[in-house]
Amino acid sequence: MRVRLKLKTVFVFYFMVSLLGLMYALMQLGQRCDCRDHGVSKDQQISQLRGELQKLQEHIKTSELSKISKPDVPAIYVITPTYARLVQKAELSRLSHTFLHVPRLHWIVVEDAAQPTPLVTDFLAASGLTYTHLHKLTPKDKKLQENDPSWLKPRGVEQRNEGLRWLREMGAAAEGKEAAALEEAVVYFADDDNTYSLQLFEEMRYTHRVSVWPVGLVGGMKFESPVVQDGRVVRFHTGWRPNRPFPMDMAGFAVSLRLILSNPEACFDGDAQMGFLESSFLQHLVTMDDLEPKADLCTKVLVWHTRTEKPKMKREDALQKQGLGSDPDVEV
Amino acid sequence: MPKRRDILAIVLIVLPWTLLITVWHQSAIAPLLAIRKVCHHLVKEILIIPERLTIHRQRLADDGTEARHEAGPATDSKEYCSQDKDIVEVVRTEYVYTRPPPWSDVLPTIHVITPTYSRPVQKAELTRLANTFLHVPNLHWILVEDSQRRTPLVTRLLRETGLNYTHLNVETPRNYKLRGDTRDPRIPRGTMQRNLALRWLRETFSSNSSQAGIVYFADDDNTYSLELFEEMRSTRKVSVWPVAFVGGLRYESPKVNAAGKVYGWKTVFDPHRPFAIDMAGFAINLRLILLKPQAYFKLRGVKGGYQESSLLRELVTLNDLEPKAANCTKILVWHTRTEKPVLVNEGKKGFTDPNVEI
Repeated sequence: MRVRLKLKTVFVFYFMVSLLGLMYALMQLGQRCDCRDHGVSKDQQISQLRGELQKLQEHIKTSELSKISKPDVPAIYVITPTYARLVQKAELSRLSHTFLHVPRLHWIVVEDAAQPTPLVTDFLAASGLTYTHLHKLTPKDKKLQENDPSWLKPRGVEQRNEGLRWLREMGAAAEGKEAAALEEAVVYFADDDNTYSLQLFEEMRYTHRVSVWPVGLVGGMKFESPVVQDGRVVRFHTGWRPNRPFPMDMAGFAVSLRLILSNPEACFDGDAQMGFLESSFLQHLVTMDDLEPKADLCTKVLVWHTRTEKPKMKREDALQKQGLGSDPDVEV
Repeated sequence: MPKRRDILAIVLIVLPWTLLITVWHQSAIAPLLAIRKVCHHLVKEILIIPERLTIHRQRLADDGTEARHEAGPATDSKEYCSQDKDIVEVVRTEYVYTRPPPWSDVLPTIHVITPTYSRPVQKAELTRLANTFLHVPNLHWILVEDSQRRTPLVTRLLRETGLNYTHLNVETPRNYKLRGDTRDPRIPRGTMQRNLALRWLRETFSSNSSQAGIVYFADDDNTYSLELFEEMRSTRKVSVWPVAFVGGLRYESPKVNAAGKVYGWKTVFDPHRPFAIDMAGFAINLRLILLKPQAYFKLRGVKGGYQESSLLRELVTLNDLEPKAANCTKILVWHTRTEKPVLVNEGKKGFTDPNVEI
């Protein structure tokens, strides 16, 4: 009898202990971060490591985004003419934010200046992009004056031609694997005030000769576009002078680098009639039949010809006259 | 009978222990393992990064912070995670194009409130804004449309960007008595939308939650540098900085004294406003917003330029402002405005296919 009683109590005791243990374990599960007491040092370490990692990863992202890449994807060379004005840094900043997302993008920035300016130099160095910084001054007679309407003289002609010249120079100097990679590359002319979607760059990347797509908010219309039938461009949908050889905007086409290198005389003609700038370049390179329509056979708008207002400076001007203008050392 | 009792006893003993062991095993061991894996993963990343940084030390035009990052982790790595040699492979290339950046548990969330309305350049503006935001870690975009219903254009755009977002809408009432489509001139544009976003934040986050957050009002046509977001992340109450192209000046800025306190405003247009600052020139800590649930932008009777003051004066005094951007000497945000596109060739009936979204 005594033995049985002892066994019974032992069993009961054992049962209670295991029940309590189970309940404790379940409560542990229910609470989050209850292991704080146990793993405080670990958690601290993790947080510290995470924090450091974040900072380092940011540095990486900004400093060599374009270097780390799938090596077999064709490179995109983007030629951007730019000139000094109040909104220049802002425009280049938001452009760089877009470009930072595009793998293997090489930005060719050509300033309309006699020398590279410190603003652009410093900006490009900190941007984290792969870039080439060029400069070419527009001759005085071809330059727009303060109060000229924007369509009076073509802009960026000398700068784009300078970009082409640099590319040709690089093409001639390259050999072996580099030269082979250049054969696949694409060249795009991107003005610094337009807006580009990320999908656009993936559309243009695989261009054999010249690829085209619609451009939004240009030509006095919601968008201008090539008209595609049976996978070929048959004509252009534009509201202004559709009889031009290539009635498109600069942002509406990309040219393969191979085509540019094999046609060393093709460049933009600054003396061409208004609106014929793109045609003056493209007619040396390709015919309408050879154009490759992108953006879902030219039904999607992936780039917009936005323009930024000139900021009103009348108070600044008034202060300048009094000699109380804002600190010129602060870069805007 | 003894047999049944024995069986019962055995079951009663064994069952709790098996349950305990299986469940405990799953929950307790896994975090420990995860911690170890995470530890190694992080250490490996940190070890690899300094090598790459050394290559670009010359290119980075910044101060000596890079050097610090390089030296620290490489030498201290041995102290961390010394348990086992189980190193998880790090796929670096994938991270670089992972946008947005992975969510961090350590960084405070930046809630960016953007009012927007339909017009031809809307998609373009939101696209380039999204391209900028995709670089900012822990960013939550609260986009509030000025419309009766959420438009498919914005819905689709937000979804495709991959950003962490909240899509709201409220229509500013129009004064139908006036001819044409003019909005009620007494309500400044975007006010109702910003207020809705503030209300949403107050309804979503309780003031006890440990969720650290910063609230920033970003208009869809301005230009923001990436540095700006890192500057505002450390806001304790309300932080301020200069804004370019406002008030008819190259930039407007708070006046900061030698002690690092804001004592005035360097503007020409009414510098005696309580807060002579543009909407893009300040950020508020989420805790402060939640602490003062009555603080909203005043809807009516607000003089031009006093909108920001109508909110800020209920939240903070001049003394509490934290100057950022190197004591308000650097420009990190530009109040750009986009030209209205000339659509003269569309004519009365519209020339282009209306089904194509721009």
